[in-house]
Amino acid sequence: MSEILFYLGAFMIIIGGICDIFGAIGLLRFPNFYIRLHAATVGTIGGAVIPLFGTSLLALGADFLPHKYAIAGASFVTGVIVLLAAPAGATALAYATHKAKLVKWEPKVDDLAEVRRND
Amino acid sequence: MLEDAFMTLMKLVIPLYLLAIVIYAVRAFRGPTVPDIILAVDCISFDLAAFMAILAIYFKSVFLIGGAITLALWAYLLDIYVAKHLARGEVGA
Repeated sequence: MSEILFYLGAFMIIIGGICDIFGAIGLLRFPNFYIRLHAATVGTIGGAVIPLFGTSLLALGADFLPHKYAIAGASFVTGVIVLLAAPAGATALAYATHKAKLVKWEPKVDDLAEVRRND
Repeated sequence: MLEDAFMTLMKLVIPLYLLAIVIYAVRAFRGPTVPDIILAVDCISFDLAAFMAILAIYFKSVFLIGGAITLALWAYLLDIYVAKHLARGEVGA
């Protein structure tokens, strides 16, 4: 039973590392702030929440760890906090940037502007 | 047995996290506008929280976990303060 929990947690930690690398490359290479938000959300949800839940499972399964219940519970709480806080923070940042007009807004498709132009 | 598997996992995973943090830091130093910098610092903070939770198992210590919770809450606080400052022109109460 503990081996199943351990290897499930290890698999989630590896998935988190790979998502982290992809989010970092996207944040470096994407051209625009609004497009970079997508890569940043991949990097936070896939790269922080999933390895925190995986750390919780791995600590429950690890029999060599002295304080395993404290580490498992606290990392689960941290995962829930990041799961709630990261999308809210990214949305607030996007709203503030659009309202302050810091980044030029150039959409590929704008249906409202087309309707206004045809009227 | 499980400890040896965990040490092998750490040799695989720690370079991934450190490389990701370095690339985020490059964007944080280069970022052309203020929201880019804040977004990169945000990603660094959340990833550092996850990395501290992994290091707590690596060092077999519980003291790193409290720091991870505080770091996640601090990153959310930074987001909200900067968004309020950009939208309203003040931080306020």
